[in-house]
Amino acid sequence: MKSLSIRNLSKTYFDPYAGKHVTAVQDVSIEVPEGEFVSIVGPSGCGKTTILNMVAGFLPVSGGEIVVDGRAVSGPGPDRGVVFQSHALFPWKTVLENVAFGPKMRGVGPKEREAIARDYLALAGLSHAADRYPNELSGGMQQRVGVVRALANEPAVLLMDEPFASVDAQTRMTLQEELTRIWQERRPTIIFITHDVPEAVFLANRVVVLSKGRVLEEVEIDLPRPRSWETLIEDERFKTLSSRVLQLVRSA
Amino acid sequence: MSAALSVNPFLRLWSGYLRLVARRPALGQILPFVPLVALWAGVVEAGLFPRAFFPGPVDVVRSFVDLTWKGILPAYLEDSVVRLAVGAAAGILTGIPLGLLVGLNATAHRALWPILLFFQAIGDIAWLPLLIIWFGFGLETMTFVIVYTVLFPIVLNTVLGVRSIPLDMHRAAQSLGAPKWRIVAEVVIPGALPNIITGLRNGLGYGWRALIAAEMIVGTSGVGFMMFDARRAGSVVEILLGMIILGLLWYAVDALILAPLERATGRRWGLVAQ
Ligand SMILES: Nc1ncnc2c1ncn2[C@@H]1O[C@H](COP(=O)(O)OP(=O)(O)O)[C@@H](O)[C@H]1O
Ligand SMILES: [Mg+2]
Repeated sequence: MKSLSIRNLSKTYFDPYAGKHVTAVQDVSIEVPEGEFVSIVGPSGCGKTTILNMVAGFLPVSGGEIVVDGRAVSGPGPDRGVVFQSHALFPWKTVLENVAFGPKMRGVGPKEREAIARDYLALAGLSHAADRYPNELSGGMQQRVGVVRALANEPAVLLMDEPFASVDAQTRMTLQEELTRIWQERRPTIIFITHDVPEAVFLANRVVVLSKGRVLEEVEIDLPRPRSWETLIEDERFKTLSSRVLQLVRSA
Repeated sequence: MSAALSVNPFLRLWSGYLRLVARRPALGQILPFVPLVALWAGVVEAGLFPRAFFPGPVDVVRSFVDLTWKGILPAYLEDSVVRLAVGAAAGILTGIPLGLLVGLNATAHRALWPILLFFQAIGDIAWLPLLIIWFGFGLETMTFVIVYTVLFPIVLNTVLGVRSIPLDMHRAAQSLGAPKWRIVAEVVIPGALPNIITGLRNGLGYGWRALIAAEMIVGTSGVGFMMFDARRAGSVVEILLGMIILGLLWYAVDALILAPLERATGRRWGLVAQ
């Protein structure tokens, strides 16, 4: 896993209805060193998805640059794994085939890519679901598979855009705990986007607060790991950090 | 509860029927025809119409055995089915690639979509006068009609299927390292498959009808020709036989080809409601 630099990034959309240009992201710089977990929070419409889509290479940038593992980004690539809110699993492939898809595209042989996929499925406690189709899984399991599919391709950075926003509250907490556990085991470099402040604080080493397309402030999260909701929910430090970030988001 | 059931014997009969059909689905496909055939036989036996004018089920079965024995029916049936199969194969082989092109390529879509809509609106049979002048009464004309009829539903549904694949699906494949051609093979074709099969179902259905019509007008063999020829001879029984065979054949195409394809794809993947 490698580092990611976002340098003076901006994005201007053309709004065909208003007939004018709209600035969605303006001069954003974020450094994500190798193995770090960074959350980006901000109110809806502040430009989070736009930033992530540019880093993923889905959208051209209007200004600035994105450097992954020493190389400037131009278009999507397997060095940046993406986890979608819509999970975007291939419905016509089994869970195993979905997870083995990245290795298959890399030219890994059938035996070996199945072994890789099974290893990652085991990591997320999904071994029993290997032969099912995505539509046969619960929403929480679909998101787990989405995370594991991106990880199994061993990207330099993992990009996650509100991946847990559409699952129920209980499942969401379990998924958050699993993600911190997986992060500790494998140490991927992660950018995690959310509008949920406790989620951002719970997961990250550092929270970047975004406001109207700009970075408002960065907050270091020096909470010990491993983290679980059972201990953090009453933790004074967690409360202080969360209310700090919440105030920033509300002022945004 | 049980009192209510015993008061209404039809309800008991009906629930018995539902349980039987749940156990033996094949019976559920056949039993609904029993009252229909009985009604038909009853009207015939009542003698309201001359027998030659309105023959009964027994006469049709006799005619079936007779024509099968003489080898006429199997030969005509084979002609029709082979024409349908060849037409369908040609329609599939050109329709799917064309649909993929128009669905994936914005320029091709802009250039071809209006033309496709225009030509699909001109019904297959509407081509017949022109085709008869160009190709005469025969195989070329029939082949054109059937390929034409099968082609358009497949092309249009393939385009629809390709365009209905969510953008995130393309993006997921791209960021997992898939080059363009592999996205077509691994994402676009399977994603469009449920729609392609719907196109195939419509295409075969229209194609089958168009073929029979074409055989009636320009054919020298086939089930459609048999029926029209029977009209000349005033043989109502052969016309009825032809009609029943058309229905049964479609039943077979559905049960043996289309339904299994649908079960194995869109329904299995949860892309189509059960
Ligand atoms: N394709 C687009 N065309 C025009 N404006 C857009 C487009 N996508 C997003 N925007 C605008 O850019 C701003 C940021 O959007 P987005 O990145 O989706 O925010 P977030 O993910 O934080 O909710 C919003 O004001 C939104 O309306
Ligand atoms: Mg968003």
